[in-house]
Amino acid sequence: MEAFGLLLHGFAVLLTWKTLVLMMVGLVLGIFVGVLPGLGGPNGVAILLPLTFTMDPTSAIVMLSCIYWGALFGGAITSILFNIPGEAWSVATTFDGYPMAQQGRAAEALTAAFTSSFIGSLVAVLLITFLAPLISSFALKFGPPEFFAVYLLTFCSFVGLGREAKHKTVISMSLGLLLAGVGMDTVSGQLRMTFGSAELLRGINFLVAVIGLFGISEILLTMEERLALRGHAAAISLRVVLSVWKDLPKYWVTLLRSSFIGCWLGITPGGAIAASFMGYNLAKRFAKDPDSFGKGRIEGVFAPETAAHASGTSALLPMLALGIPGSGTAAILLGGLMVWGLNPGPLLFVEHKDFVWGLIASMYLGNVVGLILVLTTVPIFASILRVPFAAVAPMIVVSCAIGAYAIQNAMFDIWLMLGFGVVGYVFKKIGIPLAPFTLALVLGSRAEDAFRLSMIGSGGDMKVFWSNGLVGSITTLAILLLFWPVLDKAFGSLGRLWRPAKVAG
Amino acid sequence: MSNSEVEIVVDDPTAPEADSPDVASNRVVDVVVSLLLLALAATLGWDNWRTGIGWDSTGPQPGYFPFYLSVVLGGASLYGLVAAFLSRKEARETFVTRAQARRVMAVFVPTLLFCLLTQFLGLYVASFLLIAGFMRLVGKIALWKSLLTAVAFTAVMFVTFDIAFDVIMPKGPLEAAFGY
Amino acid sequence: MRNIMKSAAALTAMLASVPAVAGWEPTKPVEIVVAAGAGGASDQMARMMQAAIQKNNLMKQPMVVSLKGGASGAEALMYMKSSEGDPNKVLIAYSLIYMLPLSAKIPFNWRELTPVSVVALDQFVLWDNASGPKTVKEFIEAAKAASSPFKMGGTGSKREDHVLTVFVEQKTGAKFSYLPYKSGGEAATQLVGSHTESNVNNPSENLEVWRAGQVRALCVFDKERISYTTKVTETQSWHDIPTCKEEGLDVQYLMLRALFLPGKVTAEQQAFYVDLFQKVTQTAEYKDYMEKQALKPIFLTGKDMLQFLEEDDTLNKSLMTEAGFVAK
Repeated sequence: MEAFGLLLHGFAVLLTWKTLVLMMVGLVLGIFVGVLPGLGGPNGVAILLPLTFTMDPTSAIVMLSCIYWGALFGGAITSILFNIPGEAWSVATTFDGYPMAQQGRAAEALTAAFTSSFIGSLVAVLLITFLAPLISSFALKFGPPEFFAVYLLTFCSFVGLGREAKHKTVISMSLGLLLAGVGMDTVSGQLRMTFGSAELLRGINFLVAVIGLFGISEILLTMEERLALRGHAAAISLRVVLSVWKDLPKYWVTLLRSSFIGCWLGITPGGAIAASFMGYNLAKRFAKDPDSFGKGRIEGVFAPETAAHASGTSALLPMLALGIPGSGTAAILLGGLMVWGLNPGPLLFVEHKDFVWGLIASMYLGNVVGLILVLTTVPIFASILRVPFAAVAPMIVVSCAIGAYAIQNAMFDIWLMLGFGVVGYVFKKIGIPLAPFTLALVLGSRAEDAFRLSMIGSGGDMKVFWSNGLVGSITTLAILLLFWPVLDKAFGSLGRLWRPAKVAG
Repeated sequence: MSNSEVEIVVDDPTAPEADSPDVASNRVVDVVVSLLLLALAATLGWDNWRTGIGWDSTGPQPGYFPFYLSVVLGGASLYGLVAAFLSRKEARETFVTRAQARRVMAVFVPTLLFCLLTQFLGLYVASFLLIAGFMRLVGKIALWKSLLTAVAFTAVMFVTFDIAFDVIMPKGPLEAAFGY
Repeated sequence: MRNIMKSAAALTAMLASVPAVAGWEPTKPVEIVVAAGAGGASDQMARMMQAAIQKNNLMKQPMVVSLKGGASGAEALMYMKSSEGDPNKVLIAYSLIYMLPLSAKIPFNWRELTPVSVVALDQFVLWDNASGPKTVKEFIEAAKAASSPFKMGGTGSKREDHVLTVFVEQKTGAKFSYLPYKSGGEAATQLVGSHTESNVNNPSENLEVWRAGQVRALCVFDKERISYTTKVTETQSWHDIPTCKEEGLDVQYLMLRALFLPGKVTAEQQAFYVDLFQKVTQTAEYKDYMEKQALKPIFLTGKDMLQFLEEDDTLNKSLMTEAGFVAK
């Protein structure tokens, strides 16, 4: 079994003191950003990314993915104890998690959440482990036309399947693509849209934009609301943990179903949010007494958490394999890969085996270590929320600035971050979606390069995008997705099956 | 386990009042944003037209894609502009109330000052001033707590980034005086 | 963590021993600026130097690798230019210092920086897929006979790889479509996957796929063969690759790998780094690295280096002008 050997090798790369210390540091920082209001997974990872710049890529990704796990676990803490979903995908966790906390069963709910996160991620990691070798065998088939077709597919699926007003999605995406083009054009070696500025020469960094769009703007938005909160503190004892674990086998159907939904939606660009709702809704539908959901039922915690984590984890597979991020955090990790000079895509599995398998192995280890860590330290992290927002807000601002500066050591980027903060705030309020913008910014220049390399190769013949079965079917699928709303009307019943987000409500 | 149960309550004394008057409706903001985007599209489109928007022997020229993207952006903004003018729903939606705007400004202005200070005094001094000032003036937290938090946080950041991880931050005269 | 200890150790060392020799020494971590992405030839060289300096205790302060590959390396050049007077930044330069200002009109001139030393020369090799033509002659004939032009992969546009392609075209009359990839590694794998017919990668960029028997080295663009005779693949050493001239293709190009400080640093500061990198070139790490990457050893400083740079600049400028890559 090739995968198994490579995985063992990955573990060998990881099992050093240095990496284990980095994992712990990453997890603690991750839980921290997961718990803090106004931060959350993607921002936290983006802000902490600079810490990894001086490391070798393998240590760096280990630390980052641990920050990611930590943030996921942290989100569950606030959802259950305070009824504040740290991330959109923890919303479903609050439905039953918070009532459980109110009934004094907070420890049980937390254990259930952490355990099911663990199970969900584990299933997804297993999936990645066995699919990854298949990808590397097909890596060499990818030339410029294939790459372009895949990017096109991603863009089209956003426009076609997005639920926001179409013109707003188009604005967001074309703005992102335009800004991605600022700086040097790799294909011709010419500068464009720099207006003679040396600062714009290096282009607009994706991560700086993300820190502004999500970090700074989130603080502005948070300030608009009333910040009072009320919640429950809980310590988890070994007895509670064991009693929850003893009951686990009873819920194997729910766990398995949610894992499956999560993996499926993670790999296709459905996302963790849809997965968590779908996991919850299906668990409710198949239960004998659906009415008991929402009143503090443990299955109501298991189902969404398992699905969200399975989806969040499996989203890393298309990110690594095709360079297409399946989630916000995956997009940041993608940005990180590019900072370290690694080109995500099928070739990554061939050129940087150590890195890919180190990452996969770190997913296993990070999950185990994370589970133990959160189970023992919940009270400490829950008390972070006692810190007044007036103290947290400036600290987040400083962290954002450090993150933005460190990416390219440029003061200009701090100003850019501030600008994107304002843009993010306004866009969110008038309903221009930010996801297509970030996606376009991260993939824009790669998509353009791929298109132009294809054109150079074919001598300007567009037929190259239908020149073999692989590229032809991807291109066709992309165009179908672009016109999905039209087709959807034509074949209405089919559409409802494909769009899980609607089921989620 | 219920004996370990403690209530956590955090209050927000400076929360915005619910009945504060509106500053702007979503429609107004939407129109302004559309106009700004239109101007941006025009500028970028013009610059790319200068760079070259044709096809030469090796496929599209560097300005080709950005030019047509500017056209798409311009078109979508124009559509947005018209849609915003016609939309009754947006006219009724509140973009921000006065109380909310005050709170948002209370974060935004210090952040702006912080960026400005970072440019001249270096990040760490600016960070200390932002945290201490914000906690004291906006959060009305005791002065000693504010100062202590600011010093501690700034010190932790300095040790983490500049010393432990070799990520070098912008510095000003103060750090220079200490030989950094 | 390691770094805390390291700096603590460095601090004690500094307190304990008052330097016997008067002279400048860095007082904070030295940043080694790489004008390319991670894993590329420049980055590998930076990491080698970092290791060599650390293992042999050549400098008290740690060395930090800082990747500034944005805008095809222009980011690093502008960064060095704006760091005038800062003796804690060293740039690993290659031919982009001549070419980028010409092709992209970037306001940069290497004369504004302080030269430290030239540490190596990099070779270029004409490669094709292992299933392709076996000699340069057959390759050129196949390229001429092909219905659509052969695709030549390389790194970046209007840079060394592109210039070489134009020269091969001019010398042979065959036509190539040049495909600019983001890295040499990508150019290598695209050749293996038969998405291109050939590339002009540096030896180090194609090393892995050559060893795996997936590509063939047709000829090296130099006057003489590469000196390393240890077997790299089952049957061939670097020395076994014929020169292009031997094979009837008279094109030569070597690329410098040199170190620069920002402008306006003092003579003592410059002298410290000259001495430092002289020591680096004598370490086992450096020698091992040179052989592994099949680089041509050279060490020039001071006047020799300036003369070399001026000549190299003139040569590159004329190549760029002939190829039509100078922006108007």
